[in-house]
Amino acid sequence: MPDAILEVQEVHTFIGQFHILQGVSVSVPRGGIVVLLGRNGAGKTTTLKTILGLLPPRQGQVIFDGQSVQGRRSFDIAALGIGFVPEHRAIFRSLSVAENLKIAERARGDLDRKADFIFGLFPDLKRLYRLPGNHLSGGQQQMLAVARALVPDNRLLLIDEPSEGLAPIIIEQMMHAIRQLSAESTVLLVEQNFVVASQLAESYVIIEEGRSVQAGLMADLVVDRETIQRYLGAA
Amino acid sequence: MPTATPSRGFAVRAWLRANTGPLIVVGLLALLPFAVALIDGQPLAEVLANQPGQAKFIQGLMIEVFILAIFALSYDLIFGITGLLSFGHAMFFAVGAYLSGIMIKSFGWSLAPTLGLLAVVAVVQALLFSVVLPRVQGVTFALVTLGIAEVFHIVIQSRELVGYTGADVGLQGVIPPAFLSPAAQRLRFYFVALGLAVLVYLLCRRFVDSPTGRVCIATRENENRALMLGYNTFYFKLTAMIISSLLASLAGFLHMLYQPIVSPGIASLSYTVNALLMVLVGGMGTLSGAPIGAAILRLLTFYFDKWFGQSSGFILGMVYVALVLFLPYGIVGTWKLRRFAWRSGWARLAQPLRPPSRDGERL
Repeated sequence: MPDAILEVQEVHTFIGQFHILQGVSVSVPRGGIVVLLGRNGAGKTTTLKTILGLLPPRQGQVIFDGQSVQGRRSFDIAALGIGFVPEHRAIFRSLSVAENLKIAERARGDLDRKADFIFGLFPDLKRLYRLPGNHLSGGQQQMLAVARALVPDNRLLLIDEPSEGLAPIIIEQMMHAIRQLSAESTVLLVEQNFVVASQLAESYVIIEEGRSVQAGLMADLVVDRETIQRYLGAA
Repeated sequence: MPTATPSRGFAVRAWLRANTGPLIVVGLLALLPFAVALIDGQPLAEVLANQPGQAKFIQGLMIEVFILAIFALSYDLIFGITGLLSFGHAMFFAVGAYLSGIMIKSFGWSLAPTLGLLAVVAVVQALLFSVVLPRVQGVTFALVTLGIAEVFHIVIQSRELVGYTGADVGLQGVIPPAFLSPAAQRLRFYFVALGLAVLVYLLCRRFVDSPTGRVCIATRENENRALMLGYNTFYFKLTAMIISSLLASLAGFLHMLYQPIVSPGIASLSYTVNALLMVLVGGMGTLSGAPIGAAILRLLTFYFDKWFGQSSGFILGMVYVALVLFLPYGIVGTWKLRRFAWRSGWARLAQPLRPPSRDGERL
């Protein structure tokens, strides 16, 4: 793909002695939303961590915007313009909503510039601005985790399981927000909920037992019941 | 979110209102020597002239509390705020005491250059502790720091250095400057120690409220998340380490001035454990808990020794067990966590006692 913002090329990643990723390739075109699909433990989250250098690959490489990130440390990779929303509502619970957002600034004034956009997506956060993170509900924490990744100018957002454990109405809101923010930066999503994934993403990559086994357009996958059955179980 | 900048006078008033509790405590501590004298029937003029008596004795005990409070605050900064478990913190304190004592006694230095050298050495030892930080974490870091501190503990007890350190007897014969003599100028020493403890507290508070301090808290909560925001967390840990080392050395310096003998025990693991206990009893990461923990630890140790003699250690242990059971997050930590529940519970309890209002609820 000529204009890919992210190219993950045949990466092999180990956690301790375990060979978790055994050849994962993902190509993310600039703009839009790509989703990583696969069963529990297939290596989706590990793929995200590999991209960010939290688990550096033993083989293969990650190219972000035409530049290999090999050998760079996580904070350098993040500073290239990659925002990460980890799973499980990854906020700083002892900091307030304001501080959680402020701490994500990469340049002075980021938050002031983005405030309208962020509060447009998540009006709740404006109301809760001064509260400590641990006073927020699960859905609000997840919104804050996504909002935090929006504060600096990120060209790529990695979002891990945004719908996990949320009420249907909050999932609706989250999907709406992700759709809107994908207009500003490319999104690579991990999502177990196939209904959510199929409505959000334009293309997909299926990971099975540490290997990327299939990639294509979401429009083709939703009608391919056999593939869904084989790799994702019932859908 | 853009916020209107409040006027200076308003900010000062808001700060006073937010800190009423600590301000009252500091005010009471300033009055304490005189209050003790009044209760004891000693004329206030004698207190001002540093005559012996209960007031002078209590001042001495409280000076030790203030010094320990600075030590505990410095530990809370790396342990409670930044999340680094160091078992070598006593070395920071001991270096402050020994280095300044030796410079004054053996080399005849005056206070100002001694403090200057101490600051430089404090930064260097923080660097020494931090070189291993990128490689080791958690318990491994605790053990490495314990190793470094134990080396220091052994060195200051060695016979070869007896002329400087006094070996296992301890450093003695340091003559403190006359204007800050712990015996002849006890009251002045009391206020200097109190003032420094307050200053150190405000400094720590300022640090924690700064953006750098916030990243330190974020690092403690989840280092990977801080990395993902683009922060090289090592530099933040290093900053906390340096500030902590400077403050602990200051506490050690005051300890040296106040105590007639600096015992090598202040470099031992048990002294680090003291700091850990003070922080845990007060509430880790709360800052205000550290001085409270220091006061409780020092005063309980002293009075239990006095009251129970041999069995004081056992009783102190029971108190710690009770504190862990009933105040699992320390005194300040548990209060912060449960104050709303406690307040509403109290309100419910108090309800039936209120006289029924005339135009209140109708049945």
